[in-house]
Amino acid sequence: MAGAAAPLAGVLGASSSFASGAETVKLQFMYPIGVSGDINRIVSGMISQFNAAHPKIEVEAIYAGSYDNTEQKVITSLATGDPPATWLPINSALQTFLQLDALADLTARAKADDVYQDFLPGFLNTCVSDDKLYGLPFQPSTPVLYINKDAFRAAGITKVPDTWDELFETAKALTIREGNELKRWGLTIGGGWHDWIFESYVRQNGLVPWAKDRVMFNAPEALNALEFWVKMVQGGVMPPASTWESSANDFMAGRTAMLYHSTGSLTNLRTSSRFPVGVAFMPKNKTYGAAMGGGPLMIAKKLTDAQQEASWTFIRWMTNTKNQTEWGQATGYIAARKSSWESPEMKAYLQKVPEAQVALDQAAFAGAFLQVPGYHRVREFLKSALDRTLAGAIKPDAALAEANTNANREIQRLLRRRS
Amino acid sequence: MMLSATTRARWSEAGLAYALILPSLVFLAAFTYWPIIRSIYFSFHDVVLGKPDIFFLGWENYERLWNDSLFWKVLGNTAFYTLLTIPLSIATALLLAVALDSKLRGMAIYRSAFFYPVMIPSVAAGMVWVFLYAPGYGPINDLLAALGLPRLEWLYNSGWAMPAIILMSIWKYSGYFMLILLAALQLVPSDLYEAARLDGVSAWQRLIHITIPLISPTLYFVVVIGLLHSYQIFDYVYVMTQGGPADSTNVLTFYIYQNGFQYQDIGYASAIANTLLVFVLGLIGIVAATLGRRVHYLGR
Repeated sequence: MAGAAAPLAGVLGASSSFASGAETVKLQFMYPIGVSGDINRIVSGMISQFNAAHPKIEVEAIYAGSYDNTEQKVITSLATGDPPATWLPINSALQTFLQLDALADLTARAKADDVYQDFLPGFLNTCVSDDKLYGLPFQPSTPVLYINKDAFRAAGITKVPDTWDELFETAKALTIREGNELKRWGLTIGGGWHDWIFESYVRQNGLVPWAKDRVMFNAPEALNALEFWVKMVQGGVMPPASTWESSANDFMAGRTAMLYHSTGSLTNLRTSSRFPVGVAFMPKNKTYGAAMGGGPLMIAKKLTDAQQEASWTFIRWMTNTKNQTEWGQATGYIAARKSSWESPEMKAYLQKVPEAQVALDQAAFAGAFLQVPGYHRVREFLKSALDRTLAGAIKPDAALAEANTNANREIQRLLRRRS
Repeated sequence: MMLSATTRARWSEAGLAYALILPSLVFLAAFTYWPIIRSIYFSFHDVVLGKPDIFFLGWENYERLWNDSLFWKVLGNTAFYTLLTIPLSIATALLLAVALDSKLRGMAIYRSAFFYPVMIPSVAAGMVWVFLYAPGYGPINDLLAALGLPRLEWLYNSGWAMPAIILMSIWKYSGYFMLILLAALQLVPSDLYEAARLDGVSAWQRLIHITIPLISPTLYFVVVIGLLHSYQIFDYVYVMTQGGPADSTNVLTFYIYQNGFQYQDIGYASAIANTLLVFVLGLIGIVAATLGRRVHYLGR
């Protein structure tokens, strides 16, 4: 669909600009929905505001599904030589796009601007490879722990769990069964991105389970984390599997009392639940820790100068102080700019919704998520290992060892190609 | 002179035949044969989607395939799906067709009703069934609970996810097979049934000894079509489970898609696709050699 529309848009764009002499630059922007909430409406609103304010630029926003779907659409259109001008992938896809030689180097433009001074350095770093900048953080996130406060009150629990042990005990106290039938889980770890949350757990054990050219899924820190998950599933306080959307729906419907999900779902969970929602750091083990999720806006390499300029104007506008403030409040994503957090609007909002700052504070313990070559397949190896372990089909150590071998073989295969 | 006139006539006849099949041949060549040749070529190379440069690998992709435990699991899943879906949906279709093969008034409404699932776009049908199977609020679980049966996690349970997709496929395909079988039933001479009835043959025996042998060419056709269908299932898996949980619903076409488009590993995806091609050809060969032999063509 996008592939068919793209050349047409290009032709129309070129001809109309010749005819009118107005030099309207047309840009395509592909974006995913990565969290729970009415994201489409919010993004469409921003795009029409941008187009209204920039008569010489016309951005066409294309909703492309999940992060994976979006990245695939961009890659397929790269293969046909006709990529969108800008897109919004997960930060972990950076190496994949670099391998395809698809990204414009934004370092010079960013240095001429206030990007290096004003963006939160941790998240800006997720867009950096070999000291060059390839994107502007637009919707940074970390997983956080969501809490159904009514459920806590009803169970007589006052303390939000701060360690893994407390998490298990609290989840046990919150689980409700009538006979053999489950009424409410104590805890759900949002499926589909549970590998992202798993990396956070490994980081809470003091290890970043990957380097530029390998993963360490078989490390004791990872095994210990997975054994803890198995303990929670076997203890009957957590379901062995869920999906990203349904886990958020289950939380809002009261089917689970606690939920690990992206901070980007915060506003929707808070406003759509019929009970007060608490937000907390993910409990620590040896330390607090989180993997940074969410995506930067990237610009295609092979564009005309006018398109490059217009694309920069666009992504710079999407990440300006005011828009980051509003986007952060509308979704729960972490506003990417220091100035957004210092703005009076944000300060007033935090007075009202102090939960919105949890992810920002937690980001002090966070780092990029799985930025390795072949990220998509490496993720699947890990997810498959986690799923099969939680389903009881394989032992944790065997599963992680297998995922580790497969993932490293894949990374080596890709590195061999590159060299 | 006579001879060369016949030859000329034969040649022009052949020319006409070729001219007539040319349009479809061009399409087949462009969209089927050429891609097959390309995919055989790619399967011996390192090809990354989105990059123009490719490298020769020899048999490496096939060696990876041989050692890929997930591939074997996927192959097993696909075989499991096929072995359950084909017999069950054809049996359902046959019973429906026999039941609806009557001249009573209002039969057209029932036939349309059972054919209806075939007309629903598969993605829409998949979405609806995701809702029907939902563990918390899905109608299927409510029904089970009303019958005093345990609620199931369906698509979230690695043991139940594939049976759930199979159940839905049977619902979706039976109507199509029913329609084909109905057409065949209408051609069975009614005097055979009358003679059997006069001799006191029961309905069940009439089905086994008259109906099934006489519609066996159509049944054979339906088995082959069903086989091709089930090796191509992709949409339900994509919409309902994305191959999960724990790879329990990952099937060959979905695995090809994952490798080719999610992982950009076109060489490996091609190796799987070629394996699938050989596999399906082999299966159809087996079906032709066993079932095909027993087909009864009404004395023709």
